[in-house]
Amino acid sequence: MATTENALKKSPASRISWDTWAVLAAFLAAVLVRIGVIHRVPW
Amino acid sequence: MSETFALPQVKQAQPNLQFLRVIPGVLLLAAIGYAGKLLEQNVGRYAKAHHWVFPNIEYVLWAILLGLLISNTVGVPAIFRAGVATYEFWLKVGIVLLGARFLLGDVLKLGGVSLALVALEITGAIAFMTFLGRVFHLKPKLTTLLAVGSAVCGVSAIIATQGAIDADEEDSSFAIAAILALGALALFTFPLIGHALHLSDHAYGLWAGLAVDNTAEASAAGALYSDAAGKLAVLAKTTRNAMIGFVVLAYAIYWAGKGQAETVKNKAAFLWQKFPKFVLGFLLISVLATYGFFNKEQIGALANLSRWAFLLTFAGVGLRTNFREMRKQGLRPFAVGAIGEVVIAVFTLGLVIGAQKIWGW
Repeated sequence: MATTENALKKSPASRISWDTWAVLAAFLAAVLVRIGVIHRVPW
Repeated sequence: MSETFALPQVKQAQPNLQFLRVIPGVLLLAAIGYAGKLLEQNVGRYAKAHHWVFPNIEYVLWAILLGLLISNTVGVPAIFRAGVATYEFWLKVGIVLLGARFLLGDVLKLGGVSLALVALEITGAIAFMTFLGRVFHLKPKLTTLLAVGSAVCGVSAIIATQGAIDADEEDSSFAIAAILALGALALFTFPLIGHALHLSDHAYGLWAGLAVDNTAEASAAGALYSDAAGKLAVLAKTTRNAMIGFVVLAYAIYWAGKGQAETVKNKAAFLWQKFPKFVLGFLLISVLATYGFFNKEQIGALANLSRWAFLLTFAGVGLRTNFREMRKQGLRPFAVGAIGEVVIAVFTLGLVIGAQKIWGW
Protein backbone atom coordinates (compact mmCIF):
# COMPACT_ATOMS: atom_id res chain seq x y z
CA MET A 1 0.00 0.00 0.00
CA ALA A 2 2.77 2.39 0.97
CA THR A 3 4.55 1.63 -2.28
CA THR A 4 1.41 2.41 -4.23
CA GLU A 5 0.93 5.68 -2.37
CA ASN A 6 4.52 6.73 -3.06
CA ALA A 7 4.06 5.91 -6.72
CA LEU A 8 0.90 7.99 -6.75
CA LYS A 9 2.76 10.96 -5.26
CA LYS A 10 5.57 10.67 -7.80
CA SER A 11 3.62 10.38 -11.03
CA PRO A 12 0.85 12.82 -12.03
CA ALA A 13 -0.42 10.28 -14.59
CA SER A 14 -0.90 7.64 -11.91
CA ARG A 15 -3.14 9.98 -9.88
CA ILE A 16 -5.80 9.09 -12.42
CA SER A 17 -7.53 5.85 -11.43
CA TRP A 18 -7.88 2.82 -13.70
CA ASP A 19 -11.57 3.59 -13.72
CA THR A 20 -10.97 7.02 -15.28
CA TRP A 21 -8.35 5.66 -17.71
CA ALA A 22 -10.91 3.12 -18.89
CA VAL A 23 -13.49 5.86 -19.52
CA LEU A 24 -10.90 7.96 -21.40
CA ALA A 25 -9.84 4.97 -23.52
CA ALA A 26 -13.46 4.13 -24.35
CA PHE A 27 -14.19 7.73 -25.36
CA LEU A 28 -11.05 7.89 -27.46
CA ALA A 29 -12.22 4.76 -29.27
CA ALA A 30 -15.71 6.28 -29.68
CA VAL A 31 -14.24 9.48 -31.16
CA LEU A 32 -12.03 7.48 -33.57
CA VAL A 33 -15.10 5.55 -34.72
CA ARG A 34 -17.12 8.79 -35.02
CA ILE A 35 -14.56 10.64 -37.14
CA GLY A 36 -14.01 7.60 -39.33
CA VAL A 37 -10.47 6.60 -38.34
CA ILE A 38 -11.93 3.24 -37.29
CA HIS A 39 -14.41 2.23 -40.01
CA ARG A 40 -15.41 -1.29 -39.28
CA VAL A 41 -14.66 -3.61 -36.38
CA PRO A 42 -15.02 -7.29 -37.29
CA TRP A 43 -16.31 -9.81 -34.76
CA MET B 1 -3.97 -4.29 -1.26
CA SER B 2 -2.22 -6.58 1.15
CA GLU B 3 1.36 -7.55 0.47
CA THR B 4 0.50 -10.97 1.95
CA PHE B 5 -2.55 -11.38 -0.25
CA ALA B 6 -2.26 -14.79 -1.82
CA LEU B 7 -3.79 -13.95 -5.19
CA PRO B 8 -1.11 -11.92 -6.94
CA GLN B 9 -3.03 -11.93 -10.21
CA VAL B 10 -5.68 -9.68 -8.64
CA LYS B 11 -3.22 -6.95 -7.75
CA GLN B 12 -3.74 -3.98 -10.06
CA ALA B 13 -0.77 -2.35 -11.73
CA GLN B 14 -0.94 1.45 -11.51
CA PRO B 15 -0.81 3.25 -14.83
CA ASN B 16 2.57 4.98 -15.12
CA LEU B 17 5.54 5.33 -17.43
CA GLN B 18 6.33 1.65 -17.02
CA PHE B 19 3.11 0.77 -18.82
CA LEU B 20 5.11 -1.29 -21.31
CA ARG B 21 5.33 -4.08 -18.76
CA VAL B 22 1.61 -4.78 -19.21
CA ILE B 23 2.04 -5.65 -22.88
CA PRO B 24 2.95 -9.38 -22.48
CA GLY B 25 -0.05 -9.99 -20.22
CA VAL B 26 -2.44 -8.07 -22.47
CA LEU B 27 -1.21 -10.12 -25.43
CA LEU B 28 -1.81 -13.28 -23.38
CA LEU B 29 -5.38 -12.12 -22.61
CA ALA B 30 -5.94 -11.43 -26.31
CA ALA B 31 -4.44 -14.78 -27.36
CA ILE B 32 -6.58 -16.75 -24.90
CA GLY B 33 -9.71 -14.79 -25.78
CA TYR B 34 -9.14 -15.28 -29.51
CA ALA B 35 -8.39 -18.97 -28.97
CA GLY B 36 -11.77 -19.17 -27.19
CA LYS B 37 -13.43 -17.64 -30.25
CA LEU B 38 -11.66 -20.06 -32.62
CA LEU B 39 -12.60 -23.02 -30.43
CA GLU B 40 -16.25 -21.96 -30.42
CA GLN B 41 -16.26 -21.80 -34.22
CA ASN B 42 -14.28 -24.95 -34.90
CA VAL B 43 -14.98 -27.51 -32.17
CA GLY B 44 -18.72 -27.57 -32.86
CA ARG B 45 -18.09 -27.84 -36.63
CA TYR B 46 -15.55 -30.64 -36.13
CA ALA B 47 -17.85 -32.54 -33.75
CA LYS B 48 -20.74 -32.23 -36.21
CA ALA B 49 -18.59 -33.42 -39.12
CA HIS B 50 -17.61 -36.51 -37.11
CA HIS B 51 -21.18 -37.10 -35.83
CA TRP B 52 -20.16 -36.56 -32.19
CA VAL B 53 -22.61 -35.38 -29.58
CA PHE B 54 -20.92 -32.28 -28.20
CA PRO B 55 -22.57 -29.30 -26.45
CA ASN B 56 -22.26 -25.91 -28.13
CA ILE B 57 -19.75 -24.12 -25.90
CA GLU B 58 -19.61 -20.35 -26.32
CA TYR B 59 -16.35 -18.41 -26.62
CA VAL B 60 -16.96 -16.94 -23.15
CA LEU B 61 -16.73 -20.35 -21.50
CA TRP B 62 -13.78 -21.45 -23.68
CA ALA B 63 -11.84 -18.30 -22.73
CA ILE B 64 -12.56 -18.81 -19.03
CA LEU B 65 -11.71 -22.53 -19.18
CA LEU B 66 -8.41 -21.90 -21.01
CA GLY B 67 -7.51 -19.26 -18.41
CA LEU B 68 -8.43 -21.60 -15.55
CA LEU B 69 -6.37 -24.38 -17.09
CA ILE B 70 -3.25 -22.20 -17.30
CA SER B 71 -3.70 -20.63 -13.87
CA ASN B 72 -4.29 -23.94 -12.10
CA THR B 73 -1.62 -26.03 -13.86
CA VAL B 74 1.52 -24.15 -14.96
CA GLY B 75 0.44 -20.90 -13.27
CA VAL B 76 0.74 -17.38 -14.69
CA PRO B 77 4.45 -16.53 -15.17
CA ALA B 78 5.56 -13.27 -13.53
CA ILE B 79 6.14 -11.52 -16.88
CA PHE B 80 2.42 -11.73 -17.70
CA ARG B 81 0.94 -10.77 -14.31
CA ALA B 82 0.89 -6.98 -14.69
CA GLY B 83 -0.89 -7.30 -18.02
CA VAL B 84 -3.32 -9.96 -16.79
CA ALA B 85 -4.27 -7.61 -13.93
CA THR B 86 -5.58 -5.14 -16.54
CA TYR B 87 -8.61 -7.38 -17.16
CA GLU B 88 -10.73 -5.02 -15.02
CA PHE B 89 -9.59 -2.09 -17.17
CA TRP B 90 -10.88 -3.92 -20.27
CA LEU B 91 -14.07 -4.75 -18.42
CA LYS B 92 -14.73 -1.06 -17.76
CA VAL B 93 -13.82 -0.09 -21.34
CA GLY B 94 -16.28 -2.76 -22.50
CA ILE B 95 -19.04 -1.50 -20.21
CA VAL B 96 -18.63 2.14 -21.32
CA LEU B 97 -18.73 1.12 -25.01
CA LEU B 98 -21.71 -1.14 -24.35
CA GLY B 99 -23.61 2.07 -23.58
CA ALA B 100 -23.88 2.57 -27.36
CA ARG B 101 -26.18 -0.47 -27.54
CA PHE B 102 -28.65 1.03 -25.04
CA LEU B 103 -31.03 3.84 -25.87
CA LEU B 104 -31.35 6.26 -22.97
CA GLY B 105 -35.05 5.43 -22.57
CA ASP B 106 -34.19 1.73 -22.13
CA VAL B 107 -31.48 2.58 -19.62
CA LEU B 108 -33.89 4.71 -17.59
CA LYS B 109 -36.67 2.12 -17.78
CA LEU B 110 -34.51 -0.94 -17.09
CA GLY B 111 -32.26 1.03 -14.74
CA GLY B 112 -35.35 2.14 -12.80
CA VAL B 113 -36.50 -1.48 -12.38
CA SER B 114 -32.93 -2.52 -11.56
CA LEU B 115 -32.59 0.30 -9.03
CA ALA B 116 -35.69 -0.82 -7.12
CA LEU B 117 -34.48 -4.44 -7.10
CA VAL B 118 -30.92 -3.37 -6.24
CA ALA B 119 -32.19 -1.41 -3.21
CA LEU B 120 -34.00 -4.53 -1.95
CA GLU B 121 -31.01 -6.75 -2.74
CA ILE B 122 -28.51 -4.50 -0.94
CA THR B 123 -30.70 -4.14 2.15
CA GLY B 124 -31.42 -7.88 2.33
CA ALA B 125 -27.82 -8.92 1.63
CA ILE B 126 -26.27 -6.58 4.22
CA ALA B 127 -28.78 -7.61 6.90
CA PHE B 128 -28.31 -11.33 6.23
CA MET B 129 -24.51 -11.25 5.97
CA THR B 130 -24.30 -9.25 9.22
CA PHE B 131 -26.51 -11.86 10.90
CA LEU B 132 -24.35 -14.72 9.53
CA GLY B 133 -21.14 -13.00 10.64
CA ARG B 134 -22.50 -12.87 14.20
CA VAL B 135 -23.65 -16.49 14.12
CA PHE B 136 -20.19 -17.65 12.91
CA HIS B 137 -18.35 -15.26 15.31
CA LEU B 138 -16.41 -13.56 12.52
CA LYS B 139 -14.57 -10.33 13.34
CA PRO B 140 -17.03 -7.40 12.94
CA LYS B 141 -14.93 -5.65 10.27
CA LEU B 142 -14.50 -8.88 8.31
CA THR B 143 -18.29 -9.24 8.48
CA THR B 144 -18.63 -5.68 7.15
CA LEU B 145 -16.28 -6.47 4.24
CA LEU B 146 -18.16 -9.66 3.36
CA ALA B 147 -21.49 -7.83 3.62
CA VAL B 148 -20.33 -5.03 1.29
CA GLY B 149 -18.67 -7.49 -1.10
CA SER B 150 -21.80 -9.60 -1.46
CA ALA B 151 -24.30 -6.72 -1.39
CA VAL B 152 -22.65 -4.26 -3.78
CA CYS B 153 -19.85 -5.18 -6.08
CA GLY B 154 -17.29 -7.65 -5.02
CA VAL B 155 -13.60 -6.82 -5.01
CA SER B 156 -13.82 -3.06 -5.75
CA ALA B 157 -16.31 -2.56 -2.92
CA ILE B 158 -14.18 -4.54 -0.48
CA ILE B 159 -11.05 -2.53 -1.34
CA ALA B 160 -12.97 0.77 -1.07
CA THR B 161 -14.45 -0.25 2.29
CA GLN B 162 -11.18 -1.55 3.70
CA GLY B 163 -9.63 1.90 3.37
CA ALA B 164 -12.71 3.70 4.66
CA ILE B 165 -13.17 1.64 7.85
CA ASP B 166 -9.47 0.93 8.59
CA ALA B 167 -10.00 -2.84 8.33
CA ASP B 168 -7.06 -5.29 8.50
CA GLU B 169 -5.56 -6.18 5.14
CA GLU B 170 -5.82 -9.84 6.13
CA ASP B 171 -9.60 -9.46 6.55
CA SER B 172 -9.78 -7.84 3.14
CA SER B 173 -7.84 -10.77 1.63
CA PHE B 174 -10.24 -13.27 3.24
CA ALA B 175 -13.28 -11.41 1.97
CA ILE B 176 -11.84 -11.02 -1.56
CA ALA B 177 -10.91 -14.71 -1.75
CA ALA B 178 -14.40 -15.75 -0.63
CA ILE B 179 -16.11 -13.45 -3.13
CA LEU B 180 -13.85 -14.55 -6.00
CA ALA B 181 -14.25 -18.27 -5.23
CA LEU B 182 -18.03 -17.90 -5.09
CA GLY B 183 -18.02 -15.83 -8.28
CA ALA B 184 -16.13 -18.64 -10.05
CA LEU B 185 -18.75 -21.15 -8.86
CA ALA B 186 -21.55 -18.85 -10.04
CA LEU B 187 -20.11 -18.90 -13.57
CA PHE B 188 -20.90 -22.59 -13.84
CA THR B 189 -24.04 -22.87 -11.70
CA PHE B 190 -26.06 -19.80 -12.76
CA PRO B 191 -26.47 -20.69 -16.47
CA LEU B 192 -27.48 -24.26 -15.51
CA ILE B 193 -30.10 -22.99 -13.04
CA GLY B 194 -31.33 -20.39 -15.54
CA HIS B 195 -31.83 -23.04 -18.23
CA ALA B 196 -33.43 -25.47 -15.75
CA LEU B 197 -35.94 -22.78 -14.74
CA HIS B 198 -36.45 -21.67 -18.40
CA LEU B 199 -35.73 -18.06 -17.44
CA SER B 200 -36.07 -15.50 -20.23
CA ASP B 201 -32.90 -13.64 -21.29
CA HIS B 202 -34.27 -10.56 -19.57
CA ALA B 203 -35.03 -12.28 -16.24
CA TYR B 204 -31.78 -14.27 -16.23
CA GLY B 205 -29.63 -11.24 -17.09
CA LEU B 206 -31.21 -9.22 -14.32
CA TRP B 207 -30.73 -12.09 -11.86
CA ALA B 208 -27.04 -12.55 -12.78
CA GLY B 209 -26.45 -8.80 -12.42
CA LEU B 210 -28.16 -8.74 -9.03
CA ALA B 211 -26.75 -11.91 -7.50
CA VAL B 212 -23.20 -12.39 -8.85
CA ASP B 213 -20.86 -10.15 -6.93
CA ASN B 214 -17.82 -9.28 -8.96
CA THR B 215 -18.53 -7.26 -12.13
CA ALA B 216 -16.35 -9.44 -14.37
CA GLU B 217 -18.05 -12.65 -13.21
CA ALA B 218 -21.53 -11.08 -13.40
CA SER B 219 -20.86 -10.00 -17.02
CA ALA B 220 -19.46 -13.44 -17.88
CA ALA B 221 -22.35 -15.30 -16.17
CA GLY B 222 -24.78 -13.19 -18.22
CA ALA B 223 -22.90 -13.64 -21.51
CA LEU B 224 -22.72 -17.41 -20.94
CA TYR B 225 -26.53 -17.49 -21.15
CA SER B 226 -26.98 -15.25 -24.19
CA ASP B 227 -25.85 -11.95 -25.68
CA ALA B 228 -29.08 -10.26 -24.56
CA ALA B 229 -28.76 -11.67 -21.03
CA GLY B 230 -25.16 -10.42 -20.95
CA LYS B 231 -26.33 -6.87 -21.76
CA LEU B 232 -28.94 -6.98 -19.00
CA ALA B 233 -26.49 -8.45 -16.49
CA VAL B 234 -24.06 -5.58 -17.16
CA LEU B 235 -26.83 -3.00 -16.76
CA ALA B 236 -28.08 -4.46 -13.46
CA LYS B 237 -24.52 -4.84 -12.16
CA THR B 238 -23.68 -1.27 -13.19
CA THR B 239 -26.71 -0.07 -11.22
CA ARG B 240 -25.36 -1.97 -8.19
CA ASN B 241 -21.91 -0.47 -8.74
CA ALA B 242 -23.42 3.02 -8.68
CA MET B 243 -24.46 2.37 -5.07
CA ILE B 244 -20.92 1.65 -3.86
CA GLY B 245 -20.21 5.18 -2.59
CA PHE B 246 -23.37 5.36 -0.49
CA VAL B 247 -22.86 1.96 1.15
CA VAL B 248 -19.17 2.58 1.89
CA LEU B 249 -19.99 6.05 3.28
CA ALA B 250 -22.66 4.57 5.57
CA TYR B 251 -20.18 2.00 6.91
CA ALA B 252 -17.43 4.63 7.28
CA ILE B 253 -19.78 6.79 9.37
CA TYR B 254 -20.84 3.76 11.42
CA TRP B 255 -17.27 2.69 12.26
CA ALA B 256 -16.14 6.31 12.84
CA GLY B 257 -19.06 6.63 15.32
CA LYS B 258 -17.57 3.67 17.19
CA GLY B 259 -14.17 5.39 17.20
CA GLN B 260 -12.66 2.63 15.04
CA ALA B 261 -12.24 4.57 11.76
CA GLU B 262 -11.39 8.09 10.63
CA THR B 263 -14.27 10.59 10.51
CA VAL B 264 -15.46 11.46 7.00
CA LYS B 265 -15.07 15.25 6.75
CA ASN B 266 -16.35 16.00 3.27
CA LYS B 267 -19.13 13.55 2.41
CA ALA B 268 -19.68 14.85 -1.14
CA ALA B 269 -15.97 14.50 -1.98
CA PHE B 270 -15.99 11.02 -0.41
CA LEU B 271 -18.96 9.97 -2.56
CA TRP B 272 -17.33 11.32 -5.73
CA GLN B 273 -14.05 9.59 -4.92
CA LYS B 274 -15.76 6.23 -4.43
CA PHE B 275 -18.23 6.58 -7.31
CA PRO B 276 -17.31 4.29 -10.22
CA LYS B 277 -16.63 6.72 -13.08
CA PHE B 278 -17.30 4.10 -15.76
CA VAL B 279 -21.01 4.28 -14.82
CA LEU B 280 -20.98 7.93 -15.97
CA GLY B 281 -19.08 6.94 -19.12
CA PHE B 282 -21.70 4.26 -19.88
CA LEU B 283 -24.55 6.78 -19.44
CA LEU B 284 -22.83 9.43 -21.56
CA ILE B 285 -22.21 7.03 -24.47
CA SER B 286 -25.85 5.94 -24.20
CA VAL B 287 -26.98 9.60 -24.38
CA LEU B 288 -24.76 10.19 -27.44
CA ALA B 289 -26.11 7.06 -29.18
CA THR B 290 -29.70 8.02 -28.36
CA TYR B 291 -29.37 11.51 -29.85
CA GLY B 292 -27.83 10.30 -33.10
CA PHE B 293 -24.18 11.18 -32.51
CA PHE B 294 -23.28 7.79 -34.02
CA ASN B 295 -24.85 6.27 -37.13
CA LYS B 296 -25.96 2.63 -37.26
CA GLU B 297 -22.65 1.39 -38.67
CA GLN B 298 -20.69 3.26 -36.00
CA ILE B 299 -22.88 1.80 -33.24
CA GLY B 300 -22.13 -1.64 -34.69
CA ALA B 301 -18.39 -0.88 -34.58
CA LEU B 302 -18.60 0.33 -30.95
CA ALA B 303 -20.60 -2.78 -30.00
CA ASN B 304 -17.90 -5.00 -31.51
CA LEU B 305 -15.13 -3.05 -29.76
CA SER B 306 -17.06 -3.65 -26.54
CA ARG B 307 -17.18 -7.41 -27.31
CA TRP B 308 -13.40 -7.50 -27.86
CA ALA B 309 -12.84 -5.70 -24.54
CA PHE B 310 -15.09 -8.24 -22.79
CA LEU B 311 -13.21 -11.07 -24.47
CA LEU B 312 -9.99 -9.94 -22.77
CA THR B 313 -11.90 -9.65 -19.48
CA PHE B 314 -13.23 -13.21 -19.66
CA ALA B 315 -9.73 -14.56 -20.34
CA GLY B 316 -8.56 -12.60 -17.27
CA VAL B 317 -11.33 -14.07 -15.10
CA GLY B 318 -9.98 -17.56 -15.79
CA LEU B 319 -6.32 -16.58 -15.45
CA ARG B 320 -6.64 -14.92 -12.08
CA THR B 321 -8.73 -17.73 -10.52
CA ASN B 322 -6.42 -20.07 -8.65
CA PHE B 323 -8.31 -22.63 -6.58
CA ARG B 324 -5.20 -23.72 -4.64
CA GLU B 325 -4.57 -20.16 -3.43
CA MET B 326 -8.23 -19.72 -2.54
CA ARG B 327 -8.21 -22.85 -0.36
CA LYS B 328 -5.37 -21.34 1.70
CA GLN B 329 -7.60 -18.44 2.78
CA GLY B 330 -9.54 -20.56 5.27
CA LEU B 331 -12.93 -22.15 5.50
CA ARG B 332 -15.02 -19.99 7.83
CA PRO B 333 -15.21 -16.76 5.77
CA PHE B 334 -15.81 -18.95 2.72
CA ALA B 335 -18.62 -20.80 4.54
CA VAL B 336 -20.24 -17.51 5.58
CA GLY B 337 -19.87 -16.18 2.04
CA ALA B 338 -21.24 -19.40 0.51
CA ILE B 339 -24.31 -19.55 2.77
CA GLY B 340 -24.92 -15.84 2.23
CA GLU B 341 -24.54 -16.12 -1.54
CA VAL B 342 -26.97 -19.04 -1.79
CA VAL B 343 -29.57 -17.13 0.24
CA ILE B 344 -28.98 -13.93 -1.78
CA ALA B 345 -29.22 -15.90 -5.05
CA VAL B 346 -32.56 -17.42 -3.99
CA PHE B 347 -33.82 -14.06 -2.68
CA THR B 348 -32.88 -12.17 -5.88
CA LEU B 349 -34.31 -14.98 -8.03
CA GLY B 350 -37.60 -14.49 -6.16
CA LEU B 351 -37.38 -10.72 -6.76
CA VAL B 352 -36.72 -11.20 -10.48
CA ILE B 353 -39.51 -13.75 -10.93
CA GLY B 354 -41.87 -11.40 -9.05
CA ALA B 355 -40.80 -8.47 -11.25
CA GLN B 356 -41.17 -10.67 -14.36
CA LYS B 357 -44.81 -11.34 -13.43
CA ILE B 358 -45.48 -7.64 -12.83
CA TRP B 359 -43.81 -6.35 -16.01
CA GLY B 360 -44.48 -9.43 -18.15
CA TRP B 361 -40.99 -9.87 -19.68
